[in-house]
Order: sequence, then C-alpha cells, then structure tokens
Amino acid sequence: MTIVPRRIGIKFNLEQPPKLQPDDILPIFQRWIQDHTVEGMLIDVIDYKHVPDGPGIVLIADEADFAYDLADGQIGLHYVRKRDLPDDLESALRLCLDRALEAARALEAEAPNDLLFDYGCAKISFLDRMRYRNTAETFENIRAEMTDILSGIVSATVSLSRAYDDPRSLFALHCRVDGGDFNI
Amino acid sequence: MTTWKEILKDEIPPDMGMLIDTYEAQMELRKQGRLDEKIFAEARLRKGVYGQRYDNGQRHDGVRTRDLAFPSGEIVKGPDTLWDAPGMQRIKIPYGGLTAEQLEVLSELADEYSDGIMHITTRQDIQLHYVHIDDTPDLMRRLAAVGITTQEACGNSVRNITACTLAGICHDEVFDVSPYADAMTQFLLNHDDVQDFGRKFKVAFSGCAGHACGLVKMHDLGLLAQTREIDGETVRGFTVFVGGGLGTVPHQAKVLAEFCREDELLPLTQAVARVFARLGEKKNRNRARIKFLVAKLGIEEFRREVEEELQTVPQDERHSAYIDTLSDFTYAPAKAGLALNGAPLPDGFDAWYRSNVYRQVQPGYSAITLHTPLGDFTAKQGFQLADIARKYVGDNIRLSVEQNIVLRWVADADLPAIYRDLCEIGLGDAHAGTIVDITACPGTDTCKLGIASSRGLTVELRTRLIEKINLLPDAIRELKIKVSGCFNSCGQHHVADIGFFGNSRRSGNHKMPHFQVVLGGQWQENAGSYGLAVGAVPAKTVPDVLEALTERYVAERADGESFQTWVKNLGRKEIKAMLQPFMKLPSFEDKPRYFSDWGDSRVYTIDDIGVGECAGEVVSLFSMEISKAESTQFEALLALDDGDYQLADEQAYKAMVLAARALVRTKNLDVGDDYNTIVDEFRSRFYDTELIYDRFAKGKFARYLFKRHEGLPERVNEDYAHQIIDETQLFIENVHSAEQRINGVIVG
Repeated sequence: MTIVPRRIGIKFNLEQPPKLQPDDILPIFQRWIQDHTVEGMLIDVIDYKHVPDGPGIVLIADEADFAYDLADGQIGLHYVRKRDLPDDLESALRLCLDRALEAARALEAEAPNDLLFDYGCAKISFLDRMRYRNTAETFENIRAEMTDILSGIVSATVSLSRAYDDPRSLFALHCRVDGGDFNI
Repeated sequence: MTTWKEILKDEIPPDMGMLIDTYEAQMELRKQGRLDEKIFAEARLRKGVYGQRYDNGQRHDGVRTRDLAFPSGEIVKGPDTLWDAPGMQRIKIPYGGLTAEQLEVLSELADEYSDGIMHITTRQDIQLHYVHIDDTPDLMRRLAAVGITTQEACGNSVRNITACTLAGICHDEVFDVSPYADAMTQFLLNHDDVQDFGRKFKVAFSGCAGHACGLVKMHDLGLLAQTREIDGETVRGFTVFVGGGLGTVPHQAKVLAEFCREDELLPLTQAVARVFARLGEKKNRNRARIKFLVAKLGIEEFRREVEEELQTVPQDERHSAYIDTLSDFTYAPAKAGLALNGAPLPDGFDAWYRSNVYRQVQPGYSAITLHTPLGDFTAKQGFQLADIARKYVGDNIRLSVEQNIVLRWVADADLPAIYRDLCEIGLGDAHAGTIVDITACPGTDTCKLGIASSRGLTVELRTRLIEKINLLPDAIRELKIKVSGCFNSCGQHHVADIGFFGNSRRSGNHKMPHFQVVLGGQWQENAGSYGLAVGAVPAKTVPDVLEALTERYVAERADGESFQTWVKNLGRKEIKAMLQPFMKLPSFEDKPRYFSDWGDSRVYTIDDIGVGECAGEVVSLFSMEISKAESTQFEALLALDDGDYQLADEQAYKAMVLAARALVRTKNLDVGDDYNTIVDEFRSRFYDTELIYDRFAKGKFARYLFKRHEGLPERVNEDYAHQIIDETQLFIENVHSAEQRINGVIVG
C-alpha cells in the first residue's frame, strides 16, 4: 500500500486577482474562529503578507492550516493537513479535498463576485521529503495511483504534472480535471 | 518504516545524537507521567523547544475566552502548557554564520514542520513557529546532520553567542572575533559549569568599540577585541564586560577586566559562569540574571569572586588549544575580488547600493545586507538564496541582530548581477539599516507574554515610511526604530533612537493597547546608552506620534545634532507635553478602532497573556541530571524490547553512572565524565559514609552499580538485561531518596 505522506497540501488558485486585499482576509479568518465556519480546532490567525510570495494570511488550526496564500505569484486557498490523516492515500486525499473545498467555498461566500476559485485545477503537495523526494522517479511511482484516485473522486479524467523541477522543493503536482472540476 | 534517525545515523555526530535520543526518551517519560512537568519543561527549553501563546488551551476570540480542546487532552509539556499546542523551535546559529547547505535544511524544516516561514531573531537565531513537539526530535536530527544544534537555545543556560556580522571584513575592527565566538560556543555547549544557572546567560563579541554590531554593553558577558604590546609582541585579548542587559530593568555592563589575554578568555568565562551558578539568585526569577548579582555585590567584589573562582577552575587543555586552530578559520570567497567595471546598472541599484552595500576591508569585495521584513523569509526564498550564495559568495552567509541576512565576500563586479538575482526572489529591497528597517519581537502574534502587537505596529509603520522614504531627510532616514510587545525588551527598544514597548490602559470598561515611547537610546558604541521612557500612547496613535517627533526633530535640531542629543536637550518634560495630545483616551463608543490592536480585528484583551517560558522554571542541577539517568534507563528498556541486550546493558550501566554523577555533583561540581572517577567519588562520598544507605536494604542498591562497574557477566542475555534494568531502576530510586535526605527539597 502506498504510504501516506506526513502532511498533504491542496491549493486552489483564484481565477483572477481580486479587489479584496490580504488585509481584508485577516478579519474574515478571525471571524471564522468565532463562528467555527470551517471544520477543525481553529487556534489563531497569523499575518505574513509582508513576505513576498509567501503564505499570506494563515488560519492556524490544530490539525490543519488554511492560508490565503500568495506563493508562486498565484493567490489561492492553501489547505495543509498536518495530522490525523487516514492511513490510506485515497481516504487521505478525499479528506483534504473536502476540507480545502469547504474553506474555498466559505471564502467565496465572503465576497461572492470577487473571490472565484478555479476548481478545475488543484496543486497537491506532499510535505514529506523522507518519503516523497521531488524527483521524476517519485512522480512515475505514484502517477498511476494518483490519477486513478483523483479521477475516481471527480468521476472524470485527471491529468497530472509536476509543479516544481527543483529536487529540493516539495513534491507537488498540478492536477487538472479534463472537462470538469474538483468542486463536487 | 524508515525513520530520519536511521537515515541520518552516520551523519549525526554521536554526542549530538545522544542528546537528542535522551530528549526523545524524556518526551516519552513525560507522556507516561513518569517525569515531572517542571523538569521536562526545563529539559525541553534547553533543546530550544518553546511554548507559544494559547498553549494553556485558552484563547479569547474577541467575544469570549474559549477552550482549545487539543486531542492529547490534559497531557502537559510544562506547567499549564498542553502537549499538542503549537510551539516555537529556536535554532542556534552561532555568530549568525550559515552555510548554503544549512540554509537549505532550515528551509526544508520550515516547509515540513512549520508554516513555511523562517524567522530571524535579534540574537542571530532562526525560529520556526507552530511546530508540534512530536516533530522536534526529527527536526533536531536533520539539523544535527548539517552541524546545527538547538541545545541550550532556551532555558537557564548559555544562549546563542552573537558577534558582529562584519567580523573579519570590517575596516574598524581590531581583529576578527568570529573564531573566538566559535571556540567559546563549542567550549560552553553542554558544559558542566553552565547547567546550574537561575536564569539565561547571553554572550556577545565585538571587534571594535565604535559600532553597534556586537552590542557588548547590553550583554551578560560582552567581549570587546583589544590588542596589547607585551614584551615586544602584539598580544590579542578582550575587554570583558559583565552584567549588562535590557529586560524590564536595563543595566549597562561593567568592565570586569580591561584586558584578558586570548589564552585566559575561556577560563575567565568559566569562572564567571561558576560564580553566577554559585551566587546568582535561584528563587526569584525576576532578579536572577547576572546583572542583579553584579549590582548586588558591586563590580569590585564580583571581580574578587571571579578571581578567587579562577583558582579553582580545573585545568582543561581546551582553554588554550583553540588558539592553535585560529589560523584555520578562513573564508573561501566564491570568486576573485574585482571592481565594478562600469557596465550599465539596473534600476534601483543606486539606492540599494547606498543603504545595503558595505565595502569590505579586502579590496574588490563587499558585504550586502538583505532586508527581510520583520525577520521573516520563506522556505522557497531560502532555497533560492542558497543558490545565489553558491553562485556569488560560497558559504559566507550571516544572520544579523537587526533580523536581516548578510552575504559577505561579493566581488564588487558582481554587485549589479546579484542585485538583479535578489530582486527576483523578493530580497532586493533597499533601505537596510534605515528607519524602515524596523526590529520587532514576535509580540502578541505568538509570544505568551506579549501585551501589544509589535509586529502589527511594525508592518503599519513600515508601510507608511516606505511610501515616503525618498522624501525623508537623511537625519530621519537613518534613525533606528525598535519595537517590543512588552517590557521584556526582546525587540531591544532601549537601544533605539525611537523605541516602543507594549502595555495597556483602561478606558471605561475596555482595555486599550498602548505603546510606551522610549527615546534617545544609542545603538552605536555597542549599545552605548539606553533611552528614556517618556509616556504611553494608544497603539493606533503611534504612527502620528512618530511623525510628530521626527518632524519636530528636523525642524528644531542644531546643525549635525544627533537624535540622542536633541532628546536630551529637549528634556523629558517637554517631550511629554508634546505627546500629551496623543495620550487622550477616547471612549469605546467614540473610536472603537482604538480598542483593536494593529493587525488584529478582535476587540483588544489582555486575557490571553500567559506565563512566559523565557526563563524556564528554576530546576535544581540534581533534578536535571537525574532526569538524564531516567531517560537513559528508559532507552535501556527500549533496547530490551528490541531484543538488543548488549545495548540494553550499556544504557542501563550508563544510567546508573549518570545517577551516581547527579548525586556526586551536589558535592563536587568538577567530577567530570570519567566512569572510574564518578564511581570512586560516589563510593567515598556516599557509600563509605553510608549516606546512600536505604533504611532496610542498606547499601544493596549501590552495590548494583559497583558490581556492573567491575565488569560484564559472561553471558549477556534477555534475563540478564531484565535484571540489570530492574537494578538500575532501584538504584535511581535509591539516589532520589538519598538526595532528598541529604539536600532537602529538589524542585525550586
């Protein structure tokens, strides 16, 4: 059985740059803690918008982080599951996708005409260099299984490509749904 | 499943690996409730594993305080510190020196265990936030594999030793202090004489008296490079300062020795440490720093104590051996030094060159400062920066006490190209060292003691100042601003031209975040003087206060008058009058925004303030040492479970010796590590005198140690391993009981 990485990240990018500024996200995330808008044990919000291409505004939870993420020049919702992952890859990916989608939809609801996510593509990263070095070999080893799992989840063909070439980077995949999206 | 421990077993130095294994065993004992929470907290802090805000399981969400129900429930990693609560990992970077490979590993760890951000501290450390304690042993192993330790990064011990970032390349230095900082780091790390302090101990080196880089006058121990002509030879040494410090009660350091020769430096430091351990306050942590001891005794009496102690310091070849290796400490530039060749310069280069480039004493080379806002940079930038370092400067990377990164040994001809490369990764900002380059501690973002948002305020001030930086007169542009979230001075507000530290005031039924304004501190001359507190203003008025102060300074100052002199001449009364209009407290109904802090939409509260771990609990030396014996015994149990009986025996034997050593050190601090010496001392001091005797078993448990010390049995099998582990447990219990009978209360 394929080993589940220690942490999994899923990022949905916005379709276009919003009018909303990162400053506006901070009170939204703080309100999410008050209202328990997304699932998880929500702890705090940290502001990294001063860091170029960084994690932006991050809602820290016990089992996951939700970032209004500015990395790679793409604004998006980045969900990182840190603990309590199921021990089979399909369940782990389903869980992370569910939670990432829940947060993205909640964020869209905060600014319905401004924040629109591209659910046709997700960047899925494995934050675990011991088990998943960012190499072509790792990609080939997991490509078929990941394709099957993701295609099964969305009931459409999903095509994968490596997000980064640098072997020091996290192992991450751009996952595109052909003729559909992850927003199921 | 493969583990980092297995993967890195050949790359981790054995002594570092052993310390991490011991810590991991202590974690397991704590989880099982078999290690006292205070002792574990101090052990954890000495590994740089620090608590964060809300780790008591409570957080005010702006409406009410809510419980954070962490999954591990009530298990704690220290008093009121829940096991699962995210924490901070402090990582020591001695004198701020990093290699490209180390930077890459730090970046990996930020990605995998933290939130993707590395934070540079005012002590040239790196901090990772929101780290789970269960991840810390592997994190430490990955660091140890590239020569980085977190040992004694926090807790009541010697913290990261700092030094000028320009050491070795500076025009004004007496000599390069880097190898001395390196030697002292290695000498003091885990040294027996630095394990029994009542509080932390900070050491800094400076190469010259005039500049600020080393800040020796605000340190517990400050070393300022000097040379003297002795018998016709130039001899290197240091002026030794002692008892400086910021905190709530800032003290300027006193001169302990005008000139301490390089071969006397380590024994003198050791003597200072022994005096601090022996006479320093242990119960009241608020008065436990060495500055209070120096103030209480007076510098003359303190000096006499140190001189007397110096006579008792055991001979140690390391005291002078490092001097022979000083010449090995060299720098390997990546390229030959070449002057700028007149090629076209990129946009923005001139402004960057003016503020961020320092021409080295070595012709054709410069050092450049990378301005990292609030000391933060991403894992991705870390990898990219490692590439840039390899391309232009090799391993000549340093972190600065102003929370920036310095690349040294850049060939001047490469300056335009490296500037372009840095801009591409978001590290090409100009204005390093200017008024926009504000130092800030973590404050209420993550610190349990934070009262106001130092980072939130810094972001706001920085944003406003950057907009008009090009319009500011030089006199303002070069001012230093430093911000702390509370009175504890981690942001070093006392030594800034304009400093702020967080506090709060009440207006009606609401609390309002405030900042105390501290003016006229001196950054230069190694933090030559401290500023004056002139009054507290609401946090939301600070940008206006700053504008009023700087505009008046420019309008009224005499030609060439420094900010310090202007503040002094203007006087506290007049400054207070100037601040008066800003001090007026509006009602919550009139100006609700005053009742939220910068970068925080919640209505302000101080309910989230917790108990700081900065000092750690004061735990007796015996408690710390016996806990190492207990964790080693636990490792013996693990070896037994794995069927490795040889290792089980080795660990059990070692645990007994460590337990004996813990007791011996209550009478003889200098017993050392040699097993024969420890057992002999234990026998003569505690067995022959019957002090170790149990009421019923008499000397039986001690004889378990003597028996094993005489040699192994013929067959080491499972039964034997079981037996020696049981005997070790009984011996450790025996040592505990004896210590309580002999010395009284264990935990302070």
